[in-house]
Amino acid sequence: MHNPLDHIINKIYHVEILPPKQESTKLLADLDVFKEKYMRVMESGYCACITDNAMGLMAFQGHEIIEEMKLPVHSDQVMIHLNTFHTKADLDNILLSCKNLGIESLLIITGDGSDRLPKLQPKDIDESEVESVTSVELLRYIHRAYPDTFVLGVAFNPYEPPNHEFAKLSRKIEAGASFIITQPIIEQNPQVDRLLAEYPDIPVTVEAWMSKKLSLLSDAIGYKISEDTQFDPIATLKMLHQVYPQCGVYLSLVGFKTQYDLIKGLWI
Amino acid sequence: MKIVVCIKQVPASNDAKIDPLTKRIIRDTVKSIMNPFDNYALEESVRLREQFGGEVIALTMGPPAAEAILREAIALGVDSGILLSDRAFGGSDTWATSYALAKAIEKIGNVDLVICGKQAIDGDTAQVGPGIAAHLDWQQATYLVEIKRKDERIILTKRLHENGYDICEVTLPAVVTVVKGINTPRVPTLKGRLASLNAEITLWKPEDIDANIEQLGLNGSPTRVVKTEPPAPRTSSTIKIEGTPQQCAKELVRQLRLRSIV
Repeated sequence: MHNPLDHIINKIYHVEILPPKQESTKLLADLDVFKEKYMRVMESGYCACITDNAMGLMAFQGHEIIEEMKLPVHSDQVMIHLNTFHTKADLDNILLSCKNLGIESLLIITGDGSDRLPKLQPKDIDESEVESVTSVELLRYIHRAYPDTFVLGVAFNPYEPPNHEFAKLSRKIEAGASFIITQPIIEQNPQVDRLLAEYPDIPVTVEAWMSKKLSLLSDAIGYKISEDTQFDPIATLKMLHQVYPQCGVYLSLVGFKTQYDLIKGLWI
Repeated sequence: MKIVVCIKQVPASNDAKIDPLTKRIIRDTVKSIMNPFDNYALEESVRLREQFGGEVIALTMGPPAAEAILREAIALGVDSGILLSDRAFGGSDTWATSYALAKAIEKIGNVDLVICGKQAIDGDTAQVGPGIAAHLDWQQATYLVEIKRKDERIILTKRLHENGYDICEVTLPAVVTVVKGINTPRVPTLKGRLASLNAEITLWKPEDIDANIEQLGLNGSPTRVVKTEPPAPRTSSTIKIEGTPQQCAKELVRQLRLRSIV
């Protein structure tokens, strides 16, 4: 299996790609767009990170798109997000497909639900002592059911109350997480600094917000950002490389038409 | 087992507008979805077919755009879809709608079981399922949380009511309606969704189902809607509680008690 540290050593960006939504009325066109983005990421040598029903909005799964469109998989160039809003049967189907496709990296998150998304139940994964399945129980299950198959990462939210977030992270690491990806940061962040100091041996990737619309970040960080806030994603990305040279970078909401080519050569 | 699952396209949002003249929902301006309760009916029908074999046909009545939910049903595993669509069906109340659906079920032929969601979220009447059973003169069981097959002609149903459950034997052919707890509906796969794009949807008009035009649409609807209006939008507000953890906890409990939540 690949070492998540290699992404940092080899300066491999994580590039988020959103799969087509279930409600899409132009599915074939959306699949073509997905394919184009995916192939560009592959050709760049970066890692394509495919979300799992982000924000509780139903979308197709990364593994099924890769299978259906016969997209190439290089084990260190694909990461699938996996949350707790699946039936046990669907969860196992996703994990088995990932294994068969050679997808090793999974970002395990609790995730956002919706009325239409089923929630994994504790009894489904033999976790009867908890009331609800979180990323911790999901990590434990994957390690138990698929030993030595996946490289599992977890999320870290520097905007949550620190003691609570670090306690949660400690449980995630104990459950077998071997890399960490933060929520988007736009400047040096004291909680990320603490994270790096407390977990020097675990690869940390910071998320860079690549949309000019900084106000969209309001939900993630928990306070309102004014819609007219000026934001330069490329300058911020450069700054993050300078401030956190020991970290990988995860790019969310990258503009593939105008922005993608500009990121080449920024990580020096 | 030949199963017909009746589904309906409904407005997705709670900001539906009512036509002041017809007192009916204006459907053109809001996004449409499959009635959420019908997802459970669909799932149950597909599970029964997976268990016992046979065929599942999705049936709906509505404008041409309602074809979308039939494709969604096919993506979720039903074998085929039939759309009843014609101006003559427009304005049908639950009686006329159940008449049209019953005529379509007769036309399909040799149907063992009809499954409906307990009610549609736009009309909230819960009358169409029982109405179909009345028109067909078939047995019916409503608000089911479980369906089991006893033998070739009898199903065992667990029926939810205010004080618990009834276990009922129902002789086929029959019409049943199901509630939310009966199953966990599956999510469409990409393979299923792609297959549904090219699936052929059968379109039937009144003459195709041998329906009496006088019993359809507004003419065939005994219901007269006198007044309809959407419920007042829910209001919400945020209170920020500040202070020491003890003070915050005390204030939180006070606020919850004020609202009779605890």
